[in-house]
Amino acid sequence: MNWLGLLLGLATLFIIGLGFVWVIRGERYFGYLWWPYAMGFGILLIVSSLFINNDWASALVGVTGASLVWGSTELKEQAVRAELGWYPFNGGKLAPPFAGIIKKWRAPHL
Amino acid sequence: MELNSLGLVAALAAFLSIWWGHVAVRKIEAVSVKLWQPMVVVFVLGTVFTGIALRTESRHLSAAFGIAGMVFFWDTFELYRQEKRAKRGHAPANPNNPRHSKILKHYPDATTLDWLDRNPRGKQYSVEELAKIKATEK
Repeated sequence: MNWLGLLLGLATLFIIGLGFVWVIRGERYFGYLWWPYAMGFGILLIVSSLFINNDWASALVGVTGASLVWGSTELKEQAVRAELGWYPFNGGKLAPPFAGIIKKWRAPHL
Repeated sequence: MELNSLGLVAALAAFLSIWWGHVAVRKIEAVSVKLWQPMVVVFVLGTVFTGIALRTESRHLSAAFGIAGMVFFWDTFELYRQEKRAKRGHAPANPNNPRHSKILKHYPDATTLDWLDRNPRGKQYSVEELAKIKATEK
């Protein structure tokens, strides 16, 4: 029996669960315009997983990176949910660096 | 320097299965007349994928099938959650699906409107604005 995949799958569910939390909280306090930073950090984690020899560490860092990239594409829709009143709305968000430029880009949504 | 591709494989398996699962759950829930049918199929897929993950000798295949398998189990539950979203109006109901037309009839918040099909505007919608949007429902 090879338990690696099953245990990794369970760990992935846990990491996705954390994703729900940071997308909701992150959008509330910081705003969806942080999406390129979340995406960039996720890609950085996936690339750095290539340089980790330990299988468990490499896989968990890779999955965490994937979850950050996924979450970055969910931030925009979460912002709409808060504006519609489905989640608490916070008017005083902390804008990211280069917010003006990021606003001109189309936020990805899959 | 030797690169370890296990993290990349795990990342791809996680990202692609979350993405496709996310899209498929919405589509399948909207068109399925009997929701238990796709739920059984997705659960069986999860079981098969998990079985492959347990049996294979390859670390890479075990990781990919193990992750995708667990995401299938999660998607089984998401199909049920998606129906609840349709009842609350958080996901558009499909009037051509008899199960959804029943939802439209019995749940006052259910709607064919896709509330999320808009860009963030930076401020909350007032009750009047929400009513105005709701009135655009066909």
